[in-house]
Amino acid sequence: MASLKRKSIMEDSYETPQPMQNSNGNGTMIVNDDEPVACLHDVSFPPGYVPSSSSTGAAAAEADAKPAKEFPFTLDPFQSEAIKCLNNGESVMVSAHTSAGKTVVALFAIAMSLRNKQRVIYTSPIKALSNQKYREFKEEFSDVGLMTGDVTIDPNASCLVMTTEIWRSMQYKGSEITREVAWVIFDEVHYMRDRERGVVWEESIVMAPKNSRFVFLSATVPNAKEFADWVAKVHQQPCHIVYTDYRPTPLQHYIFPAGGSGLYLVVDEKGKFREDSFHKALNALVPAGEGEKKRENGKRHKGLVAGKLGEESDIFKMVKMIIQRQYDPVIIFSFSKRECEFLAMQMAKLDLTEDDEKVNIETIFWSAMDMLSDDDKKLPQVSNILPLLKRGIGVHHSGLLPILKEVTEILFQEGLIKCLFATETFSIGLNMPAKTVVFTNVRKFDGDKFRWISSGEYIQMSGRAGRRGIDERGICILMVDDKMEPSTAKMMLKGSADSLNSAFHLSYNMLLNQIRCEEGSPENLLRNSFYQFQADHAIPDLEKQAKVLEEERDSMVIEEEDSLKNYYNLLQQYKSLKKDVRDIVFSPKYCLPFLQPGRFVCIECTRGDDNSPSFSTEDHQVTWGVVIEFEKVKGVYEDDANKKPEDSNYTVNILTRCVVSKDGAGKKTLKIVPLKESGEPLVVSVPISQIIKLSSARLPMPKDLLPLQTRENMLKSTSEFLARNASGLPLDPEANMGIRSSSYQKLVRRIEALESLFDKHEISKSPLIEQKLKVLHMKQELTAKIKSIKRQMRSSTELAFKDELKARKRVLRRLGYATSDDVVELKGKVACEISSAEELTLTELIFNGVLKDVKVEEMVSLLSCFVWQEKLQDASKPREELELLFTQLQDTARRVAKVQLECKVQIDVEGFVNSFRPDIMEAVYAWAKGSKFYEIMEITPVFEGSLIRAIRRLEEVLQQLILAAKSIGETELEAKFEEAVSKIKRDIVFAASLYL
Amino acid sequence: MRNLQLSFNQTQKVRLEKALERLESLSSKSNPNSCVTVGDTIPVYEDGILKGHGTSDQKGELAATVCGVVERINKLIYVRALRARYKPETGDIVIGRVIEVVPKRWKLEINFTQDAILMLSSMNLPDGIQRRRTAVDELNMRSIFTENDLVCAEVRSSQGDGSLQLQARNQKYGKLERGQLLTVDPYLVKRRKQHFHHLEEYGIDLIIGCNGYIWIGEHVEARDKMVVDQGSNSEQLIAKCDKNSMDLDEQDGTCTPREARQNICRIANAIRVLSRLGFNITVEVILETVNLSNSLNLDIHDMLGSEFYVLVAESEAERRSLSKRKR
Repeated sequence: MASLKRKSIMEDSYETPQPMQNSNGNGTMIVNDDEPVACLHDVSFPPGYVPSSSSTGAAAAEADAKPAKEFPFTLDPFQSEAIKCLNNGESVMVSAHTSAGKTVVALFAIAMSLRNKQRVIYTSPIKALSNQKYREFKEEFSDVGLMTGDVTIDPNASCLVMTTEIWRSMQYKGSEITREVAWVIFDEVHYMRDRERGVVWEESIVMAPKNSRFVFLSATVPNAKEFADWVAKVHQQPCHIVYTDYRPTPLQHYIFPAGGSGLYLVVDEKGKFREDSFHKALNALVPAGEGEKKRENGKRHKGLVAGKLGEESDIFKMVKMIIQRQYDPVIIFSFSKRECEFLAMQMAKLDLTEDDEKVNIETIFWSAMDMLSDDDKKLPQVSNILPLLKRGIGVHHSGLLPILKEVTEILFQEGLIKCLFATETFSIGLNMPAKTVVFTNVRKFDGDKFRWISSGEYIQMSGRAGRRGIDERGICILMVDDKMEPSTAKMMLKGSADSLNSAFHLSYNMLLNQIRCEEGSPENLLRNSFYQFQADHAIPDLEKQAKVLEEERDSMVIEEEDSLKNYYNLLQQYKSLKKDVRDIVFSPKYCLPFLQPGRFVCIECTRGDDNSPSFSTEDHQVTWGVVIEFEKVKGVYEDDANKKPEDSNYTVNILTRCVVSKDGAGKKTLKIVPLKESGEPLVVSVPISQIIKLSSARLPMPKDLLPLQTRENMLKSTSEFLARNASGLPLDPEANMGIRSSSYQKLVRRIEALESLFDKHEISKSPLIEQKLKVLHMKQELTAKIKSIKRQMRSSTELAFKDELKARKRVLRRLGYATSDDVVELKGKVACEISSAEELTLTELIFNGVLKDVKVEEMVSLLSCFVWQEKLQDASKPREELELLFTQLQDTARRVAKVQLECKVQIDVEGFVNSFRPDIMEAVYAWAKGSKFYEIMEITPVFEGSLIRAIRRLEEVLQQLILAAKSIGETELEAKFEEAVSKIKRDIVFAASLYL
Repeated sequence: MRNLQLSFNQTQKVRLEKALERLESLSSKSNPNSCVTVGDTIPVYEDGILKGHGTSDQKGELAATVCGVVERINKLIYVRALRARYKPETGDIVIGRVIEVVPKRWKLEINFTQDAILMLSSMNLPDGIQRRRTAVDELNMRSIFTENDLVCAEVRSSQGDGSLQLQARNQKYGKLERGQLLTVDPYLVKRRKQHFHHLEEYGIDLIIGCNGYIWIGEHVEARDKMVVDQGSNSEQLIAKCDKNSMDLDEQDGTCTPREARQNICRIANAIRVLSRLGFNITVEVILETVNLSNSLNLDIHDMLGSEFYVLVAESEAERRSLSKRKR
């Protein structure tokens, strides 16, 4: 490690302890304990790497010269540590909070490359961020170019800012730039865990030129070392890790309980979790509507939306309080665009700006809007937002016109916006801190369901709190409106950042591009992927786990194991048969007609905490109750309304005896207990699966269930009924419920046979059978666990995605994209060019001549289906010609999906077909026809920003199609695509960014 | 009978004719209509077709603009030319000869209608060091390639005006030394996954360029995975390389052993035979031909004799009929 020994120019007050090289040569560690703002420094060496001493001389010579860039402020330890690595010419991964100042490292790398007359590439995940960075770097260095899907400025500059997608496609195509790149800076590299786009990072890192060096800037990730190990291995070069938890401004975390009135400090600036005040906060939660038992997902924001008329909403109270306490500026995060706007609208009464500020805001606003045409200036979104902005309130989400988003950002940076309502997108990118950050919600919809926001997301967003050098501390306020376990809250507030996991997946475009390269092969890419690396890494761990479990299993000794096992298997069989019968009897089709109000039902009691299954032929502890009503469980999204009633889940409201207990956090739990025990008569809703038997008897229903006495009486009559008929007169499935299916009868017969077997079994009489069975059960479970771990080990030793790769190659051959000896055919060459849309379907469309026959506008409109992903609930159907085209698209997509299915690619055919959305066809058609933007906004009920993004992406697709048409030599089609581009590329949709 | 400038005796003539006939009968009996000459109308069976390369719309009828075979992919119709000049496609591996060194780029002759361009920036420096953009670099361009050097490169893109950009992605590409170049008809070279071949048993590198230029040379160990030597001065290195290459030139005579030279010639002759017979040139067929000559204990120069031609044609006919039967 000679290279680290030399003194750096950047060295400030502290002295780095002399690094010691580990015997295995795999890492050194420096911990600056004495410094208040410590950072961790670690190095990953590729296997078998010997640090070359020859480089030291040259590096030292370089260091003697002036540093590539000097900063007017003292660098933080992590910054100077990272810069030292850069000076040594070695890759570095910087993992720190958003506000910590990672940009300094990037700036230094750029300055260094420019000084050495080498190229440097800066990639970021988002176009808007690229624009902002371009501006920032341009001011600093001047020799800077920009390449995004939308704009290209000075592509021959030495420093190029681009999106990661562009960088990847450059590497595929082999641009001369790739050969001159000395440094590649990947900003926000933790995007690699993004489900959809993460794979782009992996590809670009794997394919990056072998002799360039990297700077990775990432949010705090706990497994930075693993990432660096991977880079070191793939690129055969050392990679440093500089990790710091340090925040320039410490944070205080508060909780604001819904309906409450004050803030509770939960985590102080030292990072201590205050248990007592957290409980106080939760106790102050005013439950939304006392007697209401059912929670509906759609109405979660009750507290937020002003419960009763005349009362101020929580959010209004909150903002008022923030302003009063001078905690402004504040960013208020919510997780949906609509909610964002809705909350901002509630601020109607607030005015947060002085008169001169108002003038300022208006000037800035209109000078920005200047580039718009007069018609576009009259867009409702434009005219609606100005009054808000003038009062110091801003909105920022992806549905806004890009230009409004940028104006809002600028105003916010100028300090003219005091209160900004934003979505999560605001939390990445440029340094735009506020004093306070508010979370209106602690749960977020992630595509399938609502979930708690992860600690990583929380860290990222709360990173916006606290302005360096201005605020002493940042303030983070969590509005809690849902009952939250203290452990969940603690996890969120104090948990570690999300780790960086690979989200690698295959795509046809990727495969074709890899196949096309002489030396590239998809297998190679897979072998070098982070996914494979992580899987390889997990093996020793898994081995250890399997060993421990095996030992545990072998230590369990049971007498007469064989016959016991036999008995156990019988039991398992019996149970599963019983369950099958139950499933038939209680399928909604059969049982719904019998769930009338007043019917007696037998239900399971709420079991205690012990989850160990019982091992008798008896059922669980049961009790009886009276049916009140049943209802369908509503999904989070109602788009499955066309499902048959049989498929959906039902819950039944049942009057029975319950014990209500409150735990320490004020959380109420209901426990169903047998009738004879003490408890309140309450109505609980249970899923059908909890019902065991239906009685043939019914009780007359009283009109009003509210009085306690009525309910008590009903339960009393239930008990009396049971006293008379101990069995409860169950409905006979065959006679009463009319179940005639043969499978039912078969099951019943088999159960009878099994029951007789039980009696004969000798071991069933043996004492302690219950315990023995329990032990056996545990043993069985352990065995299953070991099996699954072994399976996992086996799958990770072989090449990840091996089977899928095979299947996908099969698809390419079947559709004629590539030959069996991996030569890309004409069709494949077309698909290679298409990276912004579903490549197979689009290529098939082209080759089927669909795009050839139609008018340009119709073609553009059809292509819009490829770029629009949001689901609209109430989109009107497009007109007939377009509808017809869309059906053609669906047919093609279905065919492609079916071929994939036949080739054993796992795919949901209908899901795939439905991923093409016709929702904006009309709007895009009108736009291509030359309509004004406000006119097309009247056609579709979508957000302006979303539509603009879709049209911009459409243009990207068209550009790719132009290249594709060129490669098949179809000049007319090429001309048609060109015309399409010229038709859609105009006005506000392609208005240049304010940052350029 | 193809115009082979050879003197065959009567039996050889008969045998060759028979072999060729057999080959012809084996070739796929495609639709005779699918062969077109310039100006022929191409039958169109459906609406909304796409006109690909080699076709043109003549008063509502689709006409061929080249001689060749009509290919149909879904609704796309194009004509695959049979014997045409090399037409580059992105990703092709080609071999070219430097004909001019101009600012920041080399011009290469690659058997195409235009000269291809290899930018200095698209080229890896010797030893894979990172390029720095300095003026010295440009002045030193001749130290990398000079006029008449043979270069192997990949087609990067063709511009709208038909001019061609080349690139050298990695260390495999670059200057070709110590070997011989053969020129065959480009249509004999089919695009494969691999165009670089290292024939270990002969210690030979074989590069089958898509443009019909074939390189047979002494095997060079893939110029090392770059040593990590960041920070070292590129100019010095270039100077060093310069010296190195000069040294090589001087010592060239002693470098290539006799055996390697013989191998090179044997393979080259095999390719000559194949190309004159008009057979597709793939590494498998070349090796088979070489083996055949070895098993017959033929001298290298005898490979170009008429008897060997006949033998190759016969064995090819045999091979194809075998593979056909297998199917």
